[in-house]
Amino acid sequence: MIARIKRLAAWVWKILSTPAATLSLAFLTLGGFVGGVVFWGAFNTALELTNTEQFCTGCHEMRANVYEEMTRTVHFSNRSGVRASCPDCHVPHEWTDKIARKMQASKEVWGKIFGTINTRQKFLDERLRLAQHEWHRLKANDSLECRNCHSSVAMDLSKQTQRAANIHTRYLLSGKATCIDCHKGIAHELPNMQGVDPGWHMPDELEGDVLPSANAVDELRKVMAEAHSSGEKSLP
Amino acid sequence: MRCEDSPRRIILRSFLAALAVFAAVFSTNLAVAQMVRELSGPPGGMDMVPAKPMPKWNVDDVRKMRAYPDQPPVIPHSIEGYQLSVNTNRCLSCHKREFTEGAGAPMISVTHYMTREGQMLADVSPRRYFCTACHVPQAEVQPLVGNTFRDMSEMGVEHLGGK
Amino acid sequence: MIGELTRRDLIKAHAAGIAAATAGIALPAGAQPVPGGVESLEIKWSKAPCRFCGTGCGVMVGVKEGQVVATHGDMQAEVNRGLNCIKGYFLSKIMYGEDRLKTPLLRKRNGKYAKDGEFEPVSWDEAFDVMADQCKKVLKEKGPTAVGMFGSGQWTIFEGYAATKLMRAGFRSNNLDPNARHCMASAAYAFMRTFGMDEPMGCYDDFENADAFVLWGSNMAEMHPILWTRLADRRLGHQHVKVAVLSTFTHRSMDLADIPVIFTPGTDLAILNYIANHIITSGKVNEEFVRNHTTFMKGVTNIGYGLRPEDPLELKAANAANPANMEPTDFESFKKFVSDYTLEKVADLTGADPGFLQQLADLYADPNRKVMSLWTMGFNQHVRGVWANHMLYNLHLLTGKISEPGNGPFSLTGQPSACGTAREVGTFAHRLPADMTVTNPEHRHHAEEIWKLPEGLLPDKPGYHAVQQDRMLKDGKLSFYWVQVNNNVQAAPNTKNETYQGYRNPDNFIVVSDAYPTITAMSADLILPAAMWVEKEGAYGNAERRTHVWHQLVQAPGEARSDLWQLVEFSKRFTTDEVWPAEMLDKHPDYRGKTLFEVLFKNGQVDQFPLSEVDKSYPNNEAYAFDFYIQKGLFEEYASFGRGHGHDLAPYDRYHQERGLRWPVVNGQETKWRYREGYDPYVKAGEGVKFYGRPDGRAVILAVPYEPPAESPDNEYDFWLVTGRVLEHWHSGSMTMRVPELYKAFPGARCFMNADDARKRGFNQGMEVRIVSRRGEIRSRVETRGRNRMPPGVIFVPWFDASQLINKVTLDATDPISKQTDYKKCAVKILPVA
Repeated sequence: MIARIKRLAAWVWKILSTPAATLSLAFLTLGGFVGGVVFWGAFNTALELTNTEQFCTGCHEMRANVYEEMTRTVHFSNRSGVRASCPDCHVPHEWTDKIARKMQASKEVWGKIFGTINTRQKFLDERLRLAQHEWHRLKANDSLECRNCHSSVAMDLSKQTQRAANIHTRYLLSGKATCIDCHKGIAHELPNMQGVDPGWHMPDELEGDVLPSANAVDELRKVMAEAHSSGEKSLP
Repeated sequence: MRCEDSPRRIILRSFLAALAVFAAVFSTNLAVAQMVRELSGPPGGMDMVPAKPMPKWNVDDVRKMRAYPDQPPVIPHSIEGYQLSVNTNRCLSCHKREFTEGAGAPMISVTHYMTREGQMLADVSPRRYFCTACHVPQAEVQPLVGNTFRDMSEMGVEHLGGK
Repeated sequence: MIGELTRRDLIKAHAAGIAAATAGIALPAGAQPVPGGVESLEIKWSKAPCRFCGTGCGVMVGVKEGQVVATHGDMQAEVNRGLNCIKGYFLSKIMYGEDRLKTPLLRKRNGKYAKDGEFEPVSWDEAFDVMADQCKKVLKEKGPTAVGMFGSGQWTIFEGYAATKLMRAGFRSNNLDPNARHCMASAAYAFMRTFGMDEPMGCYDDFENADAFVLWGSNMAEMHPILWTRLADRRLGHQHVKVAVLSTFTHRSMDLADIPVIFTPGTDLAILNYIANHIITSGKVNEEFVRNHTTFMKGVTNIGYGLRPEDPLELKAANAANPANMEPTDFESFKKFVSDYTLEKVADLTGADPGFLQQLADLYADPNRKVMSLWTMGFNQHVRGVWANHMLYNLHLLTGKISEPGNGPFSLTGQPSACGTAREVGTFAHRLPADMTVTNPEHRHHAEEIWKLPEGLLPDKPGYHAVQQDRMLKDGKLSFYWVQVNNNVQAAPNTKNETYQGYRNPDNFIVVSDAYPTITAMSADLILPAAMWVEKEGAYGNAERRTHVWHQLVQAPGEARSDLWQLVEFSKRFTTDEVWPAEMLDKHPDYRGKTLFEVLFKNGQVDQFPLSEVDKSYPNNEAYAFDFYIQKGLFEEYASFGRGHGHDLAPYDRYHQERGLRWPVVNGQETKWRYREGYDPYVKAGEGVKFYGRPDGRAVILAVPYEPPAESPDNEYDFWLVTGRVLEHWHSGSMTMRVPELYKAFPGARCFMNADDARKRGFNQGMEVRIVSRRGEIRSRVETRGRNRMPPGVIFVPWFDASQLINKVTLDATDPISKQTDYKKCAVKILPVA
């Protein structure tokens, strides 16, 4: 058996390593280029196809649980009709990160095949773990997918309720917290939150700890904030 | 068919008729007040009426005066999308005693820490867990029908400095 | 000095306060006087039950200067221990809507009553004159079966009792039915058929003792919020407690569910039989209990849908004429019968998650788990509602989980006195007080004896039930009709084609007694202004058999009068010669020439308690109007029906002291769990369990199948319509819509719909749509969010909003046994407003 595979591999290697005698260099170069474009296009098309809400909700697990829940939220219908679909929040927009996420998703295919969450009960049992994955991911990238649409510097505080404006100023703009800290469960129902503190409620050891930020303006803002607060601290 | 007259028209007509009569005899509006007013209901008995637009919530965060001390305060902000389930309680994440300082929200009342038997607990009593049974937000609409309820502060007590 | 405080004193006091505070010294108490003295701050607090649902919370009502100024939950009331829901907290305002009716209003033209006339204020005398003339005319032309009354589970006990006497004994008509027919009838029939006695065996104490709660078609979180606090207290406070919620859509109660089950409308019947099957096949039958305390029966099937008899569905139904028939069978054939209902088959039929179904079945099967089952309109407003109730009793009887703390089926009620008045007093078309029926000659005889009336006076044919009354009004067979304390033009099914037509039928004279100009009142010919709640002395009976009495605390506005006063005063306008057959008076000449008031109310019993027994610290308009303590007289006469027969009530005066007592009250002790030795005084030592309502002392386990609803969605009408209530409004909203805070909390009905369904059809959130059925249509707004989360293909529209009369759309199909309407299942289509 192993010997047969070895023989097959040797044959393939031979074919590939022997120079082509009848084809011109130009043909090979051009052909390689065209082939590359076609392959690349097909790959990206396939990638984009898997990057749609329709694809995501093709599975019963996604449709009956998380999608159903999302349709009742502001990310499905709102004043100006802006829509966030599944990949907008759950798949990075940048290519390398996207590929990385897609490779992780192969694990989800595994889950589908083995029915890890193929009943509501199983889904509910796994919900905390699944949610934590997303919370950690968004925490680590400073809520990058939120910020793709919701830039903190573009927020018009006068258009927010006073309460929201205060909290954003205090926690978000100062860099003490990132979107996902407070806005858990805005698009889906929450798992059992026992022991999970409200996002704005910072444990003492984290107070003042600054998160990596998403853009230069926020960075500048944070530096300013720090400068101010250190200035205060230096006072007697 | 006369007998199928819509109530609204009946009311309106009787109201107008009454108005005319009383105006004619220079009566006070006391008797007019006895007439049937326009109702909460549809303008015409079984006619189809347009559905009013869904109003917006009051979100000014200004605490509303209670009609009497025992009244549960109404919520001066929107609670749309707030999850309140066995898993999580969005209300308590600001209004619980431990969180009120950071959140700037009013603390839930001390009665909420009491068991059925009247014992005080270290945390909110589970019987008080579902806040929306008593506390509701308010839409930005005019009352459908006026209410003549008089506040107790207008009764009996002479107002300080009222003289 | 106090009371004569001048502005200058105040300024001085204020200045002194600042000075004192700065100096850190305490001021003497006298420096903060109450102008007018502390008495001026005093509020007179009295107890009363809440005016709304069947939970029966105790409230403390504060009165000042003749007005209710505040209410709060009564700490001493066992039901709610100081809590109220949002509606209860706003009871203070329900009587003060600006448009309270203050004078009788009669449709007139040229100074005379005319069906097509316009409402004009009239005196009570004129109102009653016209009303009595109309009643006498109908009696003469069409006989007693053309006279009818539609009452209420919101009537006080005395009012229901006075009405039943006036209708049955006075006018000799059984056409008396309460709106509880729309609400409780299926539960009441199933109780009678299973246990031989109405109402739950257990009580609310079960909430603190159960290990599992199962909600069958009940959204307690919104409809019984205070019982929900007791359930939540138990569930959240005890790790092992489980909650299962079954419904056709996700609602607030599901937010606490460990086992959420969403099923296709109507298929709950199959789930019930599956659980019975599971209990049997897993060997968890409590054989000793089943052997000694139960008996097996099989019900007839294919029983129709209670539609008009010429409806094709009725013509197809083999047993539409005798839907209630049952025949004896045994355990083996029951076992075989339910064996069809396998998990796989039932999951397939219901669309429910098989895992959850199995967990649910295990709750019942597990002998170590105490289960409390709760249900309301999902079960009762069901074309097979009586069956559904039976099938649930089957589960509790097979496992013996009944009549003990924490174990039992518990039927919740929707109205404050659906039990106390509508059921116990016997205001249903076929009933007499204390579970007796009009068809039983002994029962009629017993009632005639207690009422001191001639033998054979009471009519023996059951009267028209609620839906039938509407049909008969439309057909001109019921022509004098008096409606009290309900809003049936808004509440009745298919109202535009049936109910409203009947009210406006020129043959008919319709009287409506109400506090507010509801759509029903506006559809009437004569409106009588009613006193409500604490504007009269009253008594309610809640879902756990608790009878609760309150004093009159304030005066009703204008000339508004209580329903009791109206009923009794009206009886003065008839003499026996006018309403009873001549042969009867020939046989019993003593009754000749007397008014109905004299034979029914001034009969030596009802009038036996003098005014001196009335508590002088409270008003009591009715007692002073009739010159005797009429409420006590009616109550005591009524109580004599049940005393010694398992329905014992305490002496009337005691109820003024207690926060209600659960009957039977024997030797001054209330009964918490019926049918079990040690709890129920009617079960003798050594008997263990005895269902003494039935002659053989055994409860019935009934074999009945799943049968489909009357109307299901098809290609054209492609949605299920479910109707119901919301937390902030009660029933038709006639009270709660007039409380500004409650109105603003839920300012109008809306069409709860699945967001994906809406998007596929191009409906925006908030968009106006038409909800159309084969019977009628309304306009509403699409709501894809909020408390009710609809599965695809199902919409929910609450019925409190008179500007969106969803009952123009609903189907008037009923359970053929209980005649209760199915408001939960009909087919509609949703169209854009063009």
